[in-house]
Amino acid sequence: MTPVLVVAVTVAAALLTLAGIASTLARRRIGLLHLAGTAVLEALLLVQAVLAVVRLVQGERPADTPTFLGYLAGIVLLPVAGALWARSEPTRWAGSVLAVAAAAVGVMVWRLQQLWEATGG
Amino acid sequence: MAEPSGERPAGEPPPAAGGPGRLLVAVYGVFALATGARAVVQLATRYAEAPVAYLLSALAAAVYVVATVALARGGRRTALVAITVELVGVLVVGTLSLLEPAAFPDETVWSAYGRGYLFIPLVLPVAGLLWLRRTARTPSR
Repeated sequence: MTPVLVVAVTVAAALLTLAGIASTLARRRIGLLHLAGTAVLEALLLVQAVLAVVRLVQGERPADTPTFLGYLAGIVLLPVAGALWARSEPTRWAGSVLAVAAAAVGVMVWRLQQLWEATGG
Repeated sequence: MAEPSGERPAGEPPPAAGGPGRLLVAVYGVFALATGARAVVQLATRYAEAPVAYLLSALAAAVYVVATVALARGGRRTALVAITVELVGVLVVGTLSLLEPAAFPDETVWSAYGRGYLFIPLVLPVAGLLWLRRTARTPSR
């Protein structure tokens, strides 16, 4: 949970959201760009998840650990779910689906950061 | 339950789930997941603190799950009922939470018309109802 990583995730998520919307507006299905973007986003999220788990194991505890873990698991699964659905979606709305997932990640990562900073006993 | 929809060729998504409906299903899916997970955590870890608020959260989550499944599978009537419940819920709970803050010691999804969720809980049912109305008029979409 470092601010740099949070910003990186936000930027990647925002770009992926825009790319998804763009493909819907252009009436096209998603392309390699979207899959690459999703892969980058997912990689960042996995790095973040590993770092967070390492620090949890080392004894740091956010005040609301169950919620934190819920967000941590959910945020990692979202891009995967979005990409799988978008790939099986044969219409131009595939990009929108991916955009929704990416936008949700962009919001959730800040909530995750908030939860982490509210360190409990 | 998904109503059968006669003419539609096999493999094509049901009308209410096609096209922009996909977007709606995606947003509903994210909401069902987010509110559901939150409600489970709240009820499991601190039910006694704010039972009414947390039970309302759980109810909201259940409604989102029903709406998501109904929209995705083309169950128009179920979707209509779920989305209407949702709209009434967000208006009633939103109003009550502003008039009687003491009754809601912790935030629910619908508190202050969904302020904690960027007001999406207020916009979503309206969008859902408009979408259902539109697909009813042009069933070929």
